[in-house]
Amino acid sequence: MNKLGASIVLCTVMASLLLAAPEEDSDVKQLRKEVRELQQMMVELKKANKELEVNSDEYFEGENNDMPSNDFYDLKTSVKQIEAALEGNAKSGFQLAGYTSFDWVDAQGSDNEFTGVKFAPIFHYQYGDLFQFEGELEFKAQDDGETETELEYAAGTLFINDYMGLQMGKFLSPIGQYVQNLHPAWINKLPSDPVGFGHDGAAPTSNIGVALRGGLPKVADLRSNYAFFVSNAPSFGEADDGDIGIDASGKTTSGDVSKTWGGRFAINPMGGMEFGVSGAIGKASEELTATTNIGAAVGDKIDRDYDVFGADFMFNINGIDLKAEYVQQEIGENELSSLEGGTWRSWYGQISYQFSSIKLEPVIRYSDYHNPETERNQWALGLNYLFANNLIAKVAYEYNENEDSAGEASINNNRVLAQFAFGF
Amino acid sequence: MKNILTSIMLSILLLSSLSSNMLANEKAEANSVNGAEIWADVCMRCHNVRAPSDLSKRAWKFSMNHMRVRAGLTGQETRDVFDFIIKSKTLEDAK
Repeated sequence: MNKLGASIVLCTVMASLLLAAPEEDSDVKQLRKEVRELQQMMVELKKANKELEVNSDEYFEGENNDMPSNDFYDLKTSVKQIEAALEGNAKSGFQLAGYTSFDWVDAQGSDNEFTGVKFAPIFHYQYGDLFQFEGELEFKAQDDGETETELEYAAGTLFINDYMGLQMGKFLSPIGQYVQNLHPAWINKLPSDPVGFGHDGAAPTSNIGVALRGGLPKVADLRSNYAFFVSNAPSFGEADDGDIGIDASGKTTSGDVSKTWGGRFAINPMGGMEFGVSGAIGKASEELTATTNIGAAVGDKIDRDYDVFGADFMFNINGIDLKAEYVQQEIGENELSSLEGGTWRSWYGQISYQFSSIKLEPVIRYSDYHNPETERNQWALGLNYLFANNLIAKVAYEYNENEDSAGEASINNNRVLAQFAFGF
Repeated sequence: MKNILTSIMLSILLLSSLSSNMLANEKAEANSVNGAEIWADVCMRCHNVRAPSDLSKRAWKFSMNHMRVRAGLTGQETRDVFDFIIKSKTLEDAK
């Protein structure tokens, strides 16, 4: 009986299996069919995607601008626009840079004062690697509350080849290094200029004309660079404050005298070191302010011989920074003028050390300025704190000594200075 | 006479510069190793160097052209320094 029961159960199971088998087979067939269809769809999708990529490239290359826009194209366009905006893929564009400074001075014999607020935005425009324009305006708050505005420079440079650029406009004087490269407040390691290197000192400040400049191919592993210029002549005479001096800032007239020709050549004997020599020759224009015995009248324009010589040195190694520069301008005599000629000369030497770990930088500088009326020299000791490499707080003490042409020492105006400078 | 001389000299200067246009902007591949050397030697000579991450790639393009004129760099040296800065910037930005 048990055997009969077991046989019936077995048969039932077998029968049900046999009945179910065709159904499973049909499911597998169906699945296989669906897989084949999916595979076919994949092939078609891959083909369609390939066509889409080709068409989109043509679309973005401007060869098929009739293609309808869709999300894909919009997305790709947006990505390209963002890349262009962020990374500057455009051939031309402009940028604003510059620097600003805020000064406090406590001079012997006078009250301490917040003496200076300067803002010097620099506008850069470039067209690829072919052309660049840069212009710097300098805004300075005055003691009467007015704002002094000056066009420091505005010059375009056409890059003729890898070794030569043709610069046109008003450019900083290529004589020496301090005026053209080291004067911005965030670069200058002390709050003040070396004596004789400011406006109306011994160093020419700017020129209006043309210049050829650039770097030269290495010779015997030696790098070098040059600048040659021709510009309008400077003027010579009595300034508003009564001082006799040379105004060697860029002018739009030569005052009926011949142009100034000059240049600078520098070599880099080793990494971090540069030695440069510079010079210029021409005439300076003078407008007579007094009549003379030999017939010249007030207002007449005459010329004076004008010669410039400069030498500069820079060396930076392991946080030690050395800088030195000498510059002189010489004015010849002219019997029609009541003003004597002479030499305006100045030099400075500076050493500083930057502690990388504590962001402090002590500085010592000596500078000396001589002109036919005055002799000045100055020791300056300073300490800088670098919040960042372009964000600097400076304090300094200056020992100043002035002597007039009679050899008598005038007021000793030693000063404590503080400056906050920022380059952007 | 002086004006004539000046004009002649100016013309010679301009023509000589323009005639060298055949050499214009030779585009050898940028060498970031050379760029790093120039960056350390030339930039630091005058001023504290700015970190590559301080400026955008676009701003560096302008700065490098500006420095090409100021520091007397050749076009190739300018491209080398730019290449070094952008490679360093990419590494710094990825941190």
